[in-house]
Amino acid sequence: MEYPREITVIQAAAILSSTIIGVGVLALPRFAVQAGDTGAPLVTLSGIFLASLGLLLITILGMRFPNQSLIQYSENVLGKISARLGSVLIILFFTLLTALTAREFGEVVVTSVLRRTPLEVTVVVMLLLAMIPTRNNITIFAYIHHFYLPLMVAPALLIVVLSLQNANPLHLQPLWPENMAGALQGTLTISALFQGSFIMTLVIPAMRRPKKALRASFWGMAIAGGVYFLTVIAAVAVFGPEEIKQLRWPTLDLARSTSLPANIVERVDAPFLIVWVTAVFTTLFSSYYLTVHSMSELFRLRDHKMFSLFMLPFVFVIAMQPENLQQLYSLIVVIGRLGLWLTIAYPAVLLVAALIRKRRGSAA
Amino acid sequence: MISALWLKRAKLIFLLMITVPLLTGCWDRIELERRAILLGIGVDEAPRAAGNTEKNVTYLKKPPVSGMIMITAQIAIPGRIPLGHGQGSGAKPGPEKPVWVVSSTGVTIDDALMNMQQKVAYRLFYGHLRAIVISEAIAKKGVHDLNDFLRRNSEVRRTAWMMVSSTKAALAMRAAPPLERVPTLYLTGMMDEAVRLGKLPNMILGRVWAAASSKGEEPILPYVEVSKNNVLIGGLAYFKGDKMVGRTNPIEIGIVMELRKVKHGGYSLLTPIPGTSAGAVMVEVTYRKAKIEVDMRNGQPHVTAKVHIEGNIVEKISEQVKVNDQPIVKTIEKEFSKKLEQGQRDLVKKTQQQGSDIFGFGERVRGKFPQYWNQQVQNKQKWEEVYKNIAIDTDVTASLRRQGMKAR
Repeated sequence: MEYPREITVIQAAAILSSTIIGVGVLALPRFAVQAGDTGAPLVTLSGIFLASLGLLLITILGMRFPNQSLIQYSENVLGKISARLGSVLIILFFTLLTALTAREFGEVVVTSVLRRTPLEVTVVVMLLLAMIPTRNNITIFAYIHHFYLPLMVAPALLIVVLSLQNANPLHLQPLWPENMAGALQGTLTISALFQGSFIMTLVIPAMRRPKKALRASFWGMAIAGGVYFLTVIAAVAVFGPEEIKQLRWPTLDLARSTSLPANIVERVDAPFLIVWVTAVFTTLFSSYYLTVHSMSELFRLRDHKMFSLFMLPFVFVIAMQPENLQQLYSLIVVIGRLGLWLTIAYPAVLLVAALIRKRRGSAA
Repeated sequence: MISALWLKRAKLIFLLMITVPLLTGCWDRIELERRAILLGIGVDEAPRAAGNTEKNVTYLKKPPVSGMIMITAQIAIPGRIPLGHGQGSGAKPGPEKPVWVVSSTGVTIDDALMNMQQKVAYRLFYGHLRAIVISEAIAKKGVHDLNDFLRRNSEVRRTAWMMVSSTKAALAMRAAPPLERVPTLYLTGMMDEAVRLGKLPNMILGRVWAAASSKGEEPILPYVEVSKNNVLIGGLAYFKGDKMVGRTNPIEIGIVMELRKVKHGGYSLLTPIPGTSAGAVMVEVTYRKAKIEVDMRNGQPHVTAKVHIEGNIVEKISEQVKVNDQPIVKTIEKEFSKKLEQGQRDLVKKTQQQGSDIFGFGERVRGKFPQYWNQQVQNKQKWEEVYKNIAIDTDVTASLRRQGMKAR
């Protein structure tokens, strides 16, 4: 399948960041604090490094096979049967991820904002919103991400800066997490929040100059990682680790307790939620696009539009499966960690195999 | 050709069909007039027998928890809330009152509120809840259950004020100070203004909760005293965990703020002038600067608080004494420091006896000496015990810069 080759480095970086920044940001400080108490920022940082490692592998692979996506070149590297098995797992994983993202979004909305709107309505509307633009090709996909990224990052940074008025530096001390085993677990959980970076496997073959993919990966990860890191610092500095453990969505509470100077806006949670809905949309959009696109590649179809609508009921039904919030979050953590096998270990295997068997794609 | 046209039309219709439902607006919409907007609530203990007046709203036969509380709420009456200050502040008597005060009892907070809901036509709305007044009795029994309800509710703001009332909290809800038409707004305005004047640490609900959760700090709440038509800030209620264990005087609020490193000064101290029979000056504190150091001595944490006060002389008692030269100012500074140091020591001792570290020294120990903390202290309860016996030194210096328009 031929790709249009129009994506620039900046667009690729924008796709990465806006895909990564998503629902996860709400619970992120709690995950980090549960793992490392006051060492939360450090745990977050190591999570970001682990995620960067995965992204690095994917990018190197993508530059080695600049004309193909992972689904396509894996067959070349591993042989048809095992590669297809891997592809099926990846598709399943991203279907699950899409469903869980939509559900987490729905739960936040039902709990905190629209309490009488049925969960199903919120989830379906969001999935429809994500589904409709996935019918477009990757160039438009890139434009949409590029358009929304500044609208997401700027307000997020503003909220972080404003909330620091209430910060207490003592809440961040000591810097080192006390419990190393817990910190390692937390590293895995947090790096699982960055799995959207897998979208890079689709982006590289569509880049105008795939050789610059590494630069795009770096900036994409730097922006998303920076936003996540600052969010954790702000939340921990304002609330303190023990308080965060009591909060379901610390970042939302951070926005709720922050006000613009001089009472211009008494609470910034309304603008925050708007930003956040955009962030969730771009994340869902990417994971849905990845699922649908990978499927069409696996089945060697010219067009992925058919799957867009076809997958919707499946994603919706999966999203409705968790019985309650507790189950949803334990699923998110477990599936996220298992996903690391697919988004970090699998690319590593592919890269090693490609090096040993000296497989290489044709030049762009 | 025709089929292509039809296809186009069909697509358009399909597009309309899926987009129109997205334009219908808000499912959760409730008109302003159909909300019962709670502005403030007061929480009191109620005698057990009061349960007879309420119906079983949240339980079938016998409630699974004991205890009985009464909630008194101010509900805003839409249309009577004045917009801005222009249209006549000053409460008018009688039916013009902009709030409706309702009370109900129940075995838990939510039970009481559900009882109230049975009496109020529209849905209770907590989004504008600004003040939560609890009676001293409730505060002494523990505020965990109340905070649990408030934390869970997504409408409640972390910027609301919670305060402890010496009298029944219901009185605070019924009091109608004449300065502001909406009594709750007067109450919260009073708190916000006191923070601005340096007379109260900024302990909005969110901060109180953070202090209550943190391992090395105990929460404080403003302590108010209610008379028939007014409210006054009578000090701070200090807690140990979720239970109130004591209160301070108003002047001690200043001391608490000094040791919590709040810079903006607010309180004045009447300082005697040494060497005179009845001479005294009123020293107004304009700026406080505190440096709090924690170190380990013999395996025990040792706190040294160095406080520097900037102040002005605003009043002098006794005709004989003059405050017109450097030596006398220096003596007053010294006397002032001595008095303040004594006050600090007394307050610290008082909180130490109760094991209530309202200054957050424990947070410093936890942050700076993690090894000691992890081995010897670990949790909040242990710190409350350790706090009782640690050494806390205070050292005050003062500079009295100005003396007003009078020369001597």
